[in-house]
Amino acid sequence: MIRVSLLTKRFGPTVAVDGISFHVSRGEVVGFLGPNGAGKTTTLRVLTGYHAATEGSATIAGHDVATASLEARRQVGYLPENVPIYPDLRVIEYLRYRAALKGVPGRELRLAVDRAMDKAGIVEVARKLCGHVSRGYRQRVGLADALVANPPILILDEPTSGLDPNQRRRIKQVVRDLAADHTILFSSHILAEVQDVSSRILVIHRGRLRADGAPQELVTTSARYHVRVVAKCSAAQLTEATSGIAGLEAGVATTGGDGTASMRCAVERGVDPRAELGERLLRAGIAVLELKVEQPSLEEFFYAVTEGTDRSEEAALAAATAPAQATPGEVEGDEP
Amino acid sequence: MRGAFVTFKKELLSYCVSPVSWVIAVVFYLWRGFELTLVAQQFTLFRADQDLFPTATYGRGSTFLMVMLVPGILTMRCFAEERRSGSIEPLMTAPVRDGAVVLGKWAAAAAFFGLLWLPSVFILHLLEYEPFFNADLSFGPVFAAYLGMCLLSGMLLAFGCLASSLTDNVLLAAVLTIMFCFGLMQLPQPIALQLGELAQHFYIRELLDKLDVMRNFSEWFSRGLIDTSQIAFYSGGMLFFLFLTTVSLSSRRIA
Repeated sequence: MIRVSLLTKRFGPTVAVDGISFHVSRGEVVGFLGPNGAGKTTTLRVLTGYHAATEGSATIAGHDVATASLEARRQVGYLPENVPIYPDLRVIEYLRYRAALKGVPGRELRLAVDRAMDKAGIVEVARKLCGHVSRGYRQRVGLADALVANPPILILDEPTSGLDPNQRRRIKQVVRDLAADHTILFSSHILAEVQDVSSRILVIHRGRLRADGAPQELVTTSARYHVRVVAKCSAAQLTEATSGIAGLEAGVATTGGDGTASMRCAVERGVDPRAELGERLLRAGIAVLELKVEQPSLEEFFYAVTEGTDRSEEAALAAATAPAQATPGEVEGDEP
Repeated sequence: MRGAFVTFKKELLSYCVSPVSWVIAVVFYLWRGFELTLVAQQFTLFRADQDLFPTATYGRGSTFLMVMLVPGILTMRCFAEERRSGSIEPLMTAPVRDGAVVLGKWAAAAAFFGLLWLPSVFILHLLEYEPFFNADLSFGPVFAAYLGMCLLSGMLLAFGCLASSLTDNVLLAAVLTIMFCFGLMQLPQPIALQLGELAQHFYIRELLDKLDVMRNFSEWFSRGLIDTSQIAFYSGGMLFFLFLTTVSLSSRRIA
């Protein structure tokens, strides 16, 4: 339903989106993850025809967003990030206006608006002025606007941003309910809600696509497991006991106030060092209070593909520039 | 056209509920009432010159002061406010052509401006009745004067839409339009004087003649004379500015 191919968007010298490619199939709910300023909103704006791509292409239900923009826009219900709605119109007036603008025929207009309000759960504020509804309702009015023409594709830009936990929960439930009839691409930087709602995630960072796959699959294949051990001993004893175990990367031991020490160790994929570690601790006469494997979380995975990548890129850059800084003297010496 | 009509309806409703529009309407009606009182008094003095009545009604500087100020204030919010509040994003991502949105917004501003002028037509009609002035007005010149005012207003409102599409600052949009209106009404004659001999060149003379709004009204429209070249000029200007507004809106889709 959505196909993006080598999409690049530049604003002057700034590259907001840098050659990303992905596709979203019919019926999928895809979370579009990334830190602030990663390029999520720009990508969604290109898909909805608000901006043109500098390079590359994007199609919505087979319609190119650049050459058949009007047709492409007909297939999409879009919820922009800040839900800008006209404060001087009543909610129902706003939705009737939006439905008419989106080409809903006059005889179906009332039904379409009622259905959208019902799905978004805003029937009780229908007669209120848009400027007087709370932030949570405002978000749902925006969602009703996206739904009012019953498009097959929904593009939601941070639908839960700025909402309290209860409002966020309601919006998540609405999105889950909509997943039965719509293909949904929604952006967020709140990892828990992406994991809850989406069947697949795309991670974008600094304009580039860093990961694409099912949340659990990505986490288990990309992020590292950890083993947490708490024992009745000193930090030095614990460090000694955990060193030299194959596949276990010893961490820093910390001493607790009650004569205990704890440590969190990274574990290589496919290795379970608990048996060997437990045996070692027993042999050393250390009482084990806790020994467990910590499953990697989406948060760790997100950190690994965003900040972690940044660090490794910075390290690679530093390594590349270090010899270059050292060479001028040698180069000068080599010159005839 | 459906998109244009839907936009027109929504914008006209916005004008009708906006406090700014009501303030404009009150000031406009007071101003027009004051002007018509003056004209009516003159009319009782110069009853013989009934043909000059529209000249007196529409050739007045005070009328043009309103025409200079009101289009800028009416159109300043058209796109500047949408850009400022961000509502331009849902508007431009809806399946509707940019040109239809521009046309709808301009038509709503024009309709509201027309509503401001409408009562003065009835007042003119009242002058014909016995209890008032029992005037035998020639409505040809009145029609021509109203036509001229429609064309001029249409062009100025189209420029207002353009100015509003160029910025997200509503005040700047209003000032730009008012400056344009002022320039159009006050500058052609001083420019012609400054140009001297050059102003006699055929094309320059024609352009300055057409741009000279005050003269067009005092010598043509308010005397009941309709020149098709003037209709073409004002209509062309209107379409040109509407086209530029559409281009300005569509420019963000340019890679």
